[in-house]
Amino acid sequence: MEIRSGDELAFRQVYNEVFPVVMKVAYHVTYNQDVAEDICQDAFIRFYDKDMSFPSMDDAKFWLIRVVKNLSINHVKRKMRESASLEKVMRGPQVNPFKDGASELILKESTAAVRKAVSELPEIYKTVIVLREYAGLNYKEIAGVLKISESNVKVRVHRARKELEATLDREEVNVP
Amino acid sequence: MCLDDQILNTYLDNELTEPWKSQVEEHLSYCSGCRTRYQNLLKVSDAVKSSELTAAEIQPHQDRVLSMIEKNYLSKGKGKKSFLRRTFRLSAPQMIGVAAAFVVVFVGSWAVFGHNNASGSTILLPDVNTTIDLNNITQTRSSDNNTTSKSLENYSLDEILKNLDARGYDVDIRLKSIQPLSLDKIGTEVTEIARIEEADITITSDGLAKGADGTIIATGVLLKDDQIVASDGTVLWTAEETTVLGN
Repeated sequence: MEIRSGDELAFRQVYNEVFPVVMKVAYHVTYNQDVAEDICQDAFIRFYDKDMSFPSMDDAKFWLIRVVKNLSINHVKRKMRESASLEKVMRGPQVNPFKDGASELILKESTAAVRKAVSELPEIYKTVIVLREYAGLNYKEIAGVLKISESNVKVRVHRARKELEATLDREEVNVP
Repeated sequence: MCLDDQILNTYLDNELTEPWKSQVEEHLSYCSGCRTRYQNLLKVSDAVKSSELTAAEIQPHQDRVLSMIEKNYLSKGKGKKSFLRRTFRLSAPQMIGVAAAFVVVFVGSWAVFGHNNASGSTILLPDVNTTIDLNNITQTRSSDNNTTSKSLENYSLDEILKNLDARGYDVDIRLKSIQPLSLDKIGTEVTEIARIEEADITITSDGLAKGADGTIIATGVLLKDDQIVASDGTVLWTAEETTVLGN
């Protein structure tokens, strides 16, 4: 089924199916829901504006995931640069965004700890884990989105889980 | 021989093909050490999955973005896109650049035309008798006998530059370490157009290649056929190394 991204009907179809996936990708890379929303909006506007043709729903999905992943990583890097220079000026108290009392849904302790552990992964491990566990892509699809080899995906998944295990053990999180 | 973590992870993700899959299953059936290891990895994977953004958390964002797109894009059809919701980024150096450009034009025009308002120029220049610097630049006024004419501040930088350009002046505006402003670039939005993931480099639409810490690695680069090329056509990064970021 060919998908034309500038066609309203096709756009709505892709939006309904893909938005939750890309929102998860953006959120679990940036760990900020408002930023993730802006990134998804940006990606879908580009998607509609460019009026591209995709051979299937999956191809449209991978395009959107790739754009959202890149925008999210860029945001994180920019943020890190900014806070690094800011920290030199003032060393204020650090707010833990994963235990945000103001958020509408009070997170379970373990959920907050796991999200924090994922957020602390190095970028190359974080992206594979996010694409694997949250976007539900298989190794081949991850390799396609990241433009790396499948065996590289395998290695990164392995290393990412190893780091996560160590972090979670250290913080003695009671995983369900 | 026991199984290593990488094989267990591959098995866990259901990415192992036969006959290895059956062999792993067989091994796990009798080796308690590997079974414990596998269960630990499974626990990590499950913990990560269970922390995912929930449908309830996603829904409000999904509704909000859709209604914005419906309002500004879908109902209006092609070619009528709202600029209001588009991010317009102007970095600090660019703003300094624009400010510096004003200083250059003011000082330059004052030096060139001085008090000679009768030279038939289309833009009448202000009669300034204080030292010009960043502090008083907005306070300059057109001279009293020209009150009916448009003063310089009624013109945009763009118009001033075009006017000077049309009269044969080669106006060059630059600030140390910042790429020069050119007429066709003023007012355009700078966006990130491509990434070189391996080298951690971002290419922006103003032709800059920037490293992770924002340092400018190259200027005047172009995105051409998914490759990043220099102005003389040399391929700096191949299509394989380049991730094109929409637009």
